[in-house]
Amino acid sequence: MADNSITCDVAIVGSGFAGSFIANELSRKGIKVVILEAGPDVQPNFNAYMKSFYEASSKVPESPYPPAVRDFKDKNFINPKNVAAGRPSSLTVGGAAWKDPGQAYLDQSTSKRPFKSTYERIAGGTAHWMGLTPRLVPNDFRMKTMYGKDQSGFVDWPIDYNTIEPFYQKAEAELGVAAYVDEQRFCGIEFSGNYQYPMPRIPPSLFDQRVGEALAHLGEGETQFLGMGRSVTSLAVRSLPSARNSQPYRNRRACAGNTNCIPICPIQAKYDPTITLNEATNNGARLFHHRVASQILIENGRVSGITFITYDREDGPKTGSGIIKAGVYVIAANGIETPRLLLMSKNKGQTPNGVANSSDMVGRNLMDHPQYLTWGLLPQPVFPYRGPLVTSAIGELCDGPFRAQRAAFRVSLGNEGWTTVVGGGARFGADPNVTTLDFVNGMNFSGVNTKGLTGLGGNNRALFGHDLTKTLGNLISRQFRIAFPIEQNPDPNNRVTLSSALDALGLQRPKINYDISDYTKQGFATAFLLKKLIFSKLGATDFTSVPQDDPAAFKIDGTPELFTYGGAGHVMGTYRMGNDSKTSVVDGWQRSHDHTNLYLVGSGTFPTVGTANPTLTLSALALRTVEDIVKNFPSLRS
Amino acid sequence: MDYGRERNTGDTEPLTPAVKISRRAMVAGMVATTAVVFLPLSNSAFAKTSDQDMMAFLLLSSALTGVDIKTLAPEFSPGSGDILSADPGTDPIDIKSDYFRQVNAHGTAASFAKLLQIAKDNRLSKDNIIVKVNASDDDTKFLARSIVLLWYLGSWYEPGDLKNAAASPESVHAPIKQRVLSAKAYTQGLVWQIVGAHPMGYSNLQFGYWSREPRDPNSPLDLFSPAKL
Repeated sequence: MADNSITCDVAIVGSGFAGSFIANELSRKGIKVVILEAGPDVQPNFNAYMKSFYEASSKVPESPYPPAVRDFKDKNFINPKNVAAGRPSSLTVGGAAWKDPGQAYLDQSTSKRPFKSTYERIAGGTAHWMGLTPRLVPNDFRMKTMYGKDQSGFVDWPIDYNTIEPFYQKAEAELGVAAYVDEQRFCGIEFSGNYQYPMPRIPPSLFDQRVGEALAHLGEGETQFLGMGRSVTSLAVRSLPSARNSQPYRNRRACAGNTNCIPICPIQAKYDPTITLNEATNNGARLFHHRVASQILIENGRVSGITFITYDREDGPKTGSGIIKAGVYVIAANGIETPRLLLMSKNKGQTPNGVANSSDMVGRNLMDHPQYLTWGLLPQPVFPYRGPLVTSAIGELCDGPFRAQRAAFRVSLGNEGWTTVVGGGARFGADPNVTTLDFVNGMNFSGVNTKGLTGLGGNNRALFGHDLTKTLGNLISRQFRIAFPIEQNPDPNNRVTLSSALDALGLQRPKINYDISDYTKQGFATAFLLKKLIFSKLGATDFTSVPQDDPAAFKIDGTPELFTYGGAGHVMGTYRMGNDSKTSVVDGWQRSHDHTNLYLVGSGTFPTVGTANPTLTLSALALRTVEDIVKNFPSLRS
Repeated sequence: MDYGRERNTGDTEPLTPAVKISRRAMVAGMVATTAVVFLPLSNSAFAKTSDQDMMAFLLLSSALTGVDIKTLAPEFSPGSGDILSADPGTDPIDIKSDYFRQVNAHGTAASFAKLLQIAKDNRLSKDNIIVKVNASDDDTKFLARSIVLLWYLGSWYEPGDLKNAAASPESVHAPIKQRVLSAKAYTQGLVWQIVGAHPMGYSNLQFGYWSREPRDPNSPLDLFSPAKL
């Protein structure tokens, strides 16, 4: 019974990055913190997750983690109505499944295009992140002022780069970021004081080095299409700041290049939030798992409690319910589950549009970084499938006067060959399986089993023995992929609402409506031109293609090229921050405009998203929120 | 010490890192693949006939995969007489026995028997084994391909599915269904080493190795080869 009526100083829903950071900082100050986690507890070790990953026939980002997506025969998708704390899966974003709430957790039945990103609901949150931690650049915080046009929907953040900079430094210490400051000064990024990153940078892969050489000298005319407003005669390939140990850091060992940051680093050289979460619980924070928050209660304009449902098994059912009461409440349940909880909280009609939603902005402006994925073969080997998945990128194209017309992007260089791209991507097994199968079985699903490429005297050759090892060694060692994560502008019609489809606890599942704008598509168009330039400088053969059944496929007016996008896993924008309570949900401290003792944290507060991976920024914002909580609620520390 | 025995002899192409498959990488598999029960070779592990069949399986697998028997079966010792009488050995991982069981138990036993007979009859020539397998009936030939995929990827592809796909390769628009045999099988997949890499999520290498061309740190031959000095 005690567990079903919890009292504490600060109640946090969700134990991912933001929730764990806040829990740890507050509990360090002696404040009594309780975290409700919808999924299972922190595991004593990764063995069970690793086993699930190794055995998965589709090694998609969520493959190591519970709950199961397919039934025991690995044949059908489990109906999400029979899952207590479900989550989206990359396995259901293509083909026929994506619009079917009987197979896919997110109800996208009325969506124009699929929202392809996924997330976990386990203690520690999204463990399957890439570990990349670039900062937003100063102009990312003032898009309306710098580039805003009515149709782009851009707004300014209520805070600027200089405000967040000290918190970037704190977050980089907690995450353990490897980078060199001198290499990261571009597009206005500066570092206050005598700042140095906690660790030396992650060294570049052979492919990074190859691209750097190829783009070191460019003709001015070759790069004019970028619209940088300045002459571009070279493109720098820079090591990407990463929460990945380049040396032992806080009891975790250095990266051994398992080439598996997503889905899971087997040696925890990549930071994940269980590290901070464990520290928080050591400091006295209490974590209650298998507890799904179901309603935020409002009394006299303030949050008076949060109800939750308990369950034991993945497939439910509900085993009980309870309530948590605190002085301050923090919802840290990510860009889809947080608005879902706010919208579910109707308080018997007192808050008919949900909690914290007087602006009607809760759930709106859902954004991702749609990824333009390209892949090819180099003339010489670069030996992919080695090192972290990504070690370097071209960052300096992410800001410039072109942003008044088209979306910005970064250029991320992959070290994982064709594993996420060929043959419809990881949901089908991808490479090395696809190419291997082609040459064992005389097929050409990869596109490389042709006379011209192999010199084998025919297409669709089936090989045994040394011919097989020689051919695969030759072709696979020359694979590469380049991804262009592209900025998405806010659109209030890209939206999380509540579905009539339920989960196994009887709660309404998230319903998504999503599309990408012409502004974003124009970013793809420029990325396409840059891809052509890079491939040509590398002497590479292009194998980029769009799967036949891809519901995201699109064309851009005036070009014959067929495009598609991948999800970046960056769920952003759905409870945005701003100074005006009529057009935003939280203020610059991530405190609800409507309810003074409610904070909403995570990348859902980003009013615009730039092109940087969001985790570092949301972590820095969470640390800043801690200061506001302590300042506004001095009685908590008594 | 005969490090050369770990190498895939007869292949001089520079881009075939298959020759550098390390034994230690294989043994280390036991550590990373948890919850894997190691069974003895089989119920009749030490029966002479079973060892002969295992040797035939290794000869067949080596010919078809292009990978040396010593890599497929690290405790293999050739002996001095007929190769079929050699000792296949039992290493701690013993993936060969898992694969043998899979192929033999799969309703493909008749075709498997034919493949083993081909290997026995042509035990002195890998090339002849390949020629005879390619000249076999479809059930036998596609089972041979399933066996190669098993060694390369640790995944089982149904021979019937392979046959259907190969019949009209241009109309294949979705990859063929496959099943990872076990966590252990995934980490023992040979294709990774053939391309100079390691199974994703299973590296026995050290920080920063990705900045350099592959060189097996567990192979002294590679490190101290006069050609490299």
